[in-house]
Amino acid sequence: MKEEMSLLRDIERYLEGEMSEQEKTAFEELRRTNPLINKQVEEHQLFLLHLGNYGQRQQLQAKLNRIHQQLDMPALRQQAQESNQAAKRLSIRRRTITNLAAAACIALVTSLSTIAVIQNVTRNKSTAQYEDVRRVLNNIQRSQNALINDINSKSKAPLNPGTYGGTGFAVSGNGYIVTNYHVVAGADSVYVQNTKGEAFKAVSIFEDISSDLAVLKIADSTFKSQPLPYALKPQSVKIGEEVFTMGFPRDEIVYGKGYISAKTGFNGDTTAYQVSIPVNPGNSGAPLLDSRGDVVGIVTGKQTTSDGIAFAVKSAHLKHLLDEMPKDKQPRKDWNHKSHLEGMNRVDQIKKLEDFVYMVKVYN
Amino acid sequence: MKQHQDITRDRELLLGLAKGEDKSLEIIYSENFPVVLRMILQHNGSEDDAKDIFQEAIIVLYEKVQNNDFTLSSRLKTFLYSVCRHLWLKKVQRTYGLYSLSPELEEVIPATEELEAHQAKDQEFRIMEGAMSNIGQPCQAILEDYYLHKRSMQEIAEKFGYTNAENAKNQKYKCLMRLKKLFFDQYNTSL
Repeated sequence: MKEEMSLLRDIERYLEGEMSEQEKTAFEELRRTNPLINKQVEEHQLFLLHLGNYGQRQQLQAKLNRIHQQLDMPALRQQAQESNQAAKRLSIRRRTITNLAAAACIALVTSLSTIAVIQNVTRNKSTAQYEDVRRVLNNIQRSQNALINDINSKSKAPLNPGTYGGTGFAVSGNGYIVTNYHVVAGADSVYVQNTKGEAFKAVSIFEDISSDLAVLKIADSTFKSQPLPYALKPQSVKIGEEVFTMGFPRDEIVYGKGYISAKTGFNGDTTAYQVSIPVNPGNSGAPLLDSRGDVVGIVTGKQTTSDGIAFAVKSAHLKHLLDEMPKDKQPRKDWNHKSHLEGMNRVDQIKKLEDFVYMVKVYN
Repeated sequence: MKQHQDITRDRELLLGLAKGEDKSLEIIYSENFPVVLRMILQHNGSEDDAKDIFQEAIIVLYEKVQNNDFTLSSRLKTFLYSVCRHLWLKKVQRTYGLYSLSPELEEVIPATEELEAHQAKDQEFRIMEGAMSNIGQPCQAILEDYYLHKRSMQEIAEKFGYTNAENAKNQKYKCLMRLKKLFFDQYNTSL
């Protein structure tokens, strides 16, 4: 205890420079030789540093407290409260506005998307199941037929295969052709082309949007009239009756066979049949014939949701339409005679028929 | 331009603070305290909290300028404000755990590095403070008078009624040894 104290005293005197020169050298010698003492000295230095810091800080805190006491606290308090309240009001208002805006945005988006969805659904319901079978022609389908036609005949049909294509068939010997309205709708010019590759310019003289039918008249001097081999059947046919069609889903005439599967068309349309027959884009306007070779309907479209369901306008309706046409435009009524095709086999029927089935090409 | 002028003035104030001028300290204190008070009150603190936090921030500042390597890069107000925010955030976290942290408080201007050095110093201060309060009177008074207020042994002997300076000195050494022991016990275990 005593020794420690005298050592401490020495250290203090040494650090404070109170030692004489002699003592100092002796003490430094001691520090050098005795690491324990050296450590003590360093420790004391560190301690004094901390003590100094402590003092400084205490002093500072005392000063701060003194300054603080001089402050006008009540005034400051009031000021702070006021500004805080203002800030709170502002932030509340801002928050309310933000929330309202967010809610409004959500409501808007929700209602818009609901409307969009509902519209989409209804559209799907009504149209997605029904599809016109007119053909969209592109340049690749520019066919051999067209080229041959260009070389051999003098007809002036354009080389371009047209924008849309469908099928039509003659309802009189002198150039009246029936096709679908949707085939020729919005057409600038219409050409019809038979299986021989001869093309004729035609004009649409009568259109009935509700039953999707159009009557074209060939307006070309090169067209030669010939008698119709078939008749338009005025009565409706029975379910299950075998029917066949010929159309132009490609640049070649295509034969298809099927049967009447229902007496009404799409969505219960009584002017049409449901037919189970393969149809493709381009079949629009193709004649539907029964086994005796009478025209019983005109192919108009098919159901997209299931295969093999097509629709055809009844020939009775077509006949009705033709009767109602303005007198000056009416075709010669040569569809009432008996069919020349009855009793023939199908191959011969087709051979006779194909001259009266036309590819309808539409330019717009 | 205005900002630049402000920062120049702030730097002068800091220079004064480094020299220990009371005037600078007073100006810094009275100009910045209201803002901090408002901020602490806004975040559910009391006036005493504001005082403690602000004074701690001033101490941080003081330690910095004492070290001489401190250059003010933002306005003094910004510096003090961000330090106070940070300190208050820590205090709230300490007291309430993770509860009740307002989102505005989270986005603190990074003041972490300023505070790390301060925390070490603060710890040392607390240890010394604890040791000082444990040695009891008159030891505390004698040591404070000698080491902090730089009184001579003669004065101390008279003040405390020792017959001579030598006796007072002996007493002082005894006290010093106890203080050192207390301090280093704590200091070495805490480091």
